[in-house]
Amino acid sequence: MSEMAGKLFSWVNSRLPIANTFERHLSKHPVPSKVNFWYLFGALAAVTLIIQIVSGIWLIMPYSNTEEQAFSSIEYIMRDVDYGWVIRYIHTTGASLFFAVVYLHMFRGLLYGSYQKPKELVWIFGCTIYLAMMAEGFLGYVLPYGQMSYWGAQVIISLFGAIPYIGESLELWVRGDYYISGITVSRFFALHVVALPLVLIALVFLHLVALHEVGAGNPEGVDIEEYLDDDGVPLDSVPFFPYKVLNALVAIGVFMTVFSIIMFFFPEGGGYFIEMANFQEANPLVTPEHIAPVWYYAPFYTMLRAIPDPLGGLIVMAAAVAIFFIVPWLDRSKVASIRYKGIYSKIALTMFGVSFLTLGYLGTVGVTEIRKTMSVICTVIYFSYFLLMPIYTKYEITKEVPKRL
Amino acid sequence: MQEKDKTRRKVLIGLTSAVGLSGLPFVATPFIAAWNPSAKAKAAGAAVKIDVSKMQYGQQIQVAWRKQPVFIVRHTKESLAGLDLSLDKLADPNSDQIIEPYKGLNPSRSKNPEYSVMSGVCTHLGCSPKYHPEVEPKAWDASWKGGFFCPCHGSMFDIVGRVYKGVPAPSNLVVPPHMFEGTILTIGEDKEL
Amino acid sequence: MKINLNYSKYLVISFCIFLSIFFVNNINSAEGGPCKDYGECDEFKYSLNDIESLQRGASTYINYCYGCHSLKYSRWNRVAKDLQIPEDIFFENLVFDKSIKPGDLMVGAMSEESVNWFGVAPPDLTLVSRYKGDDWIYSYLRAYYEDSSKQYGVNNLVYPGTAMPNVLLSLQGNQRLICKDIPVIARNGGEKRDESGNPIYQEKCGFLEVEDDTGKLSKEEFDNLIYDLTNFLVYVGEPIKATRERIGWYVVFYFLIFTALSSLLYREYHKDYNK
Repeated sequence: MSEMAGKLFSWVNSRLPIANTFERHLSKHPVPSKVNFWYLFGALAAVTLIIQIVSGIWLIMPYSNTEEQAFSSIEYIMRDVDYGWVIRYIHTTGASLFFAVVYLHMFRGLLYGSYQKPKELVWIFGCTIYLAMMAEGFLGYVLPYGQMSYWGAQVIISLFGAIPYIGESLELWVRGDYYISGITVSRFFALHVVALPLVLIALVFLHLVALHEVGAGNPEGVDIEEYLDDDGVPLDSVPFFPYKVLNALVAIGVFMTVFSIIMFFFPEGGGYFIEMANFQEANPLVTPEHIAPVWYYAPFYTMLRAIPDPLGGLIVMAAAVAIFFIVPWLDRSKVASIRYKGIYSKIALTMFGVSFLTLGYLGTVGVTEIRKTMSVICTVIYFSYFLLMPIYTKYEITKEVPKRL
Repeated sequence: MQEKDKTRRKVLIGLTSAVGLSGLPFVATPFIAAWNPSAKAKAAGAAVKIDVSKMQYGQQIQVAWRKQPVFIVRHTKESLAGLDLSLDKLADPNSDQIIEPYKGLNPSRSKNPEYSVMSGVCTHLGCSPKYHPEVEPKAWDASWKGGFFCPCHGSMFDIVGRVYKGVPAPSNLVVPPHMFEGTILTIGEDKEL
Repeated sequence: MKINLNYSKYLVISFCIFLSIFFVNNINSAEGGPCKDYGECDEFKYSLNDIESLQRGASTYINYCYGCHSLKYSRWNRVAKDLQIPEDIFFENLVFDKSIKPGDLMVGAMSEESVNWFGVAPPDLTLVSRYKGDDWIYSYLRAYYEDSSKQYGVNNLVYPGTAMPNVLLSLQGNQRLICKDIPVIARNGGEKRDESGNPIYQEKCGFLEVEDDTGKLSKEEFDNLIYDLTNFLVYVGEPIKATRERIGWYVVFYFLIFTALSSLLYREYHKDYNK
């Protein structure tokens, strides 16, 4: 029996490089032996992606993408479908935690210079994933066709209207109707459940292939490829299996604990994960008293609001995301990790982090004079972090990076 | 590595995998259960009530229960008396080979001797048989005693839905749970069952 | 001064402090209270395991509210089952339209004519506890007061200009907005007194008070009635809420055990390369 299986395996393996790929990219893939918790969010993002895909497939089944039934089909899922509420709350909680994990993953990149040569492409694929996720999240948020879905989409689609000359017709073209109707919902549905997931999966694949080509980083910024053993394996590395897998398992345990606490006890996340107004069906005639984007777009929404001119706001918002793509060429430092960078980098990164969080907070609350000033200041800090990077990273005093981990 | 450490690893691997794997059925539960008929489907498939007092003798009507045809026949005295005549033609006259809810209660197979209630879905491949009550030679049977004939594959049933020998259908037409409250027939629910 | 914390720890700490400030400020408090003239909403603590409260709430809802307000995402037999009322008793006592089948949605009892008569269609209330919040409902239903300038002779502190008459007036009695003399509070927190030691009073308005003997229920009984009604609306907004919280404990417990075991295993293997 086992002989048969062995024969079958070698037959397949001589035609498809299973064993080789498995060893190269999973079981024996060398990873740095000393990393900290910041290096676990990538694995968690992959886990969340899988959770979102599976729960999403199950949500497509009872969901109805028509104007009349979109909202009620969500309540149908919540009430009439056996355990439908579990599946929906997995998806809503997963969406927020996906962004949380990805933001932490990106911050790790800034912290330890994970974009530096030769990881530019890994970083760029990552930024593209983030961009696709933002689109995916937005489209998904429209599908329940609640008040927040409607008015959130109204605001975002109106942004297209700010583009000179073609704006208005572009807006109409995106909606396919004179308001956000069932026609809009069903095209967003198609993009949300088929088009963008395909793009996301493809990008994640590229992100990982590029990463495995250049090797994972570490918080010291040491190039472990410099010192190899007789078999050509880096001395400061351990095989992915079982060491990295076990490390990820602990992270998954902690993550799933947090996940289930939110999902079972605070599924609305205090109005940040599922907004209260979204429990009311979309009504094109009545704007809710308070329109706020979901928390993960809030920083960018604040920047949009900080600029009085709509087109200017749109450009600033787009630039805030786009600027991530050129970070590999903005950082002129000799060292990768914040541990060996100078004091300016440390101050800049802290300021950036705080301004990003403040922008996020401001996006979820109403506008007052003070808050408006704060949002302008934070937007300036946000951009200075990037735009001044070539200067402060080049001229600051860095520490000596050790040779080995 | 010391022997003690090896055992510790084995025990921990065993425990972690056991706990991890034991979670799988629980994770799968919502995804499997979500495919059960929903409350909406159950409400749409709830029992149907019909007043059968207006039916004429010998008449057959068709009602939908769970979007499937159900035949109701009000028998004449003659046709009930004639039930035994074609006994040797039937494959399973006493419904021994199927689970029959009201077995032996009435010759009509239902809870009321005057009416038959049966699923209008042929037990062969799911076509709906046609009612031919007249006792006269037919193209499919020269000595036809009245009953149901399925146009798809030629299966024959008598007027209470019992299958003939030598036809494609393997068993009698199914009798759904039902009850009579006076002349009100409820299909799909039987409080005594 | 030398700080020995490494940078990432220091970052995490400073962000955590920031986040805690951020989460204390919830959406509502930043916007001025949702309970408007009433001030702070009264706090409502649901008890979805108190089946009797839910049963009383359902009965109040069906008798006083269901005539105008549907619960169109909810099904009759689901409510009967969740509230542990046998179906025949439930349908005999609470379902007035005998053509209703157990699995039907609670689509309301209002004809289109009467919708026109009200001017605005009374909203469906299945999800009211989720978009308004339980505190809001509990305060709103108790904040009606006499106001002859309005169409139905009543107004509401929580929702000024509400289009809904006070359906529960006969139970609550005639509630009025009154002014009271209350002691002035001094800067030090005590009552302010004049030279001869008597407390100084100042007239303040906006207090709700029920006229004696105008309602069938005492204040406490009425509050309990509204409590049960709100509790029922919380249930109907999310029928699986109690189940969700019950299952939640097991799931969290499971993942805690899994985390503990996997971290023991990780530490064991960690020894291989970190001696």
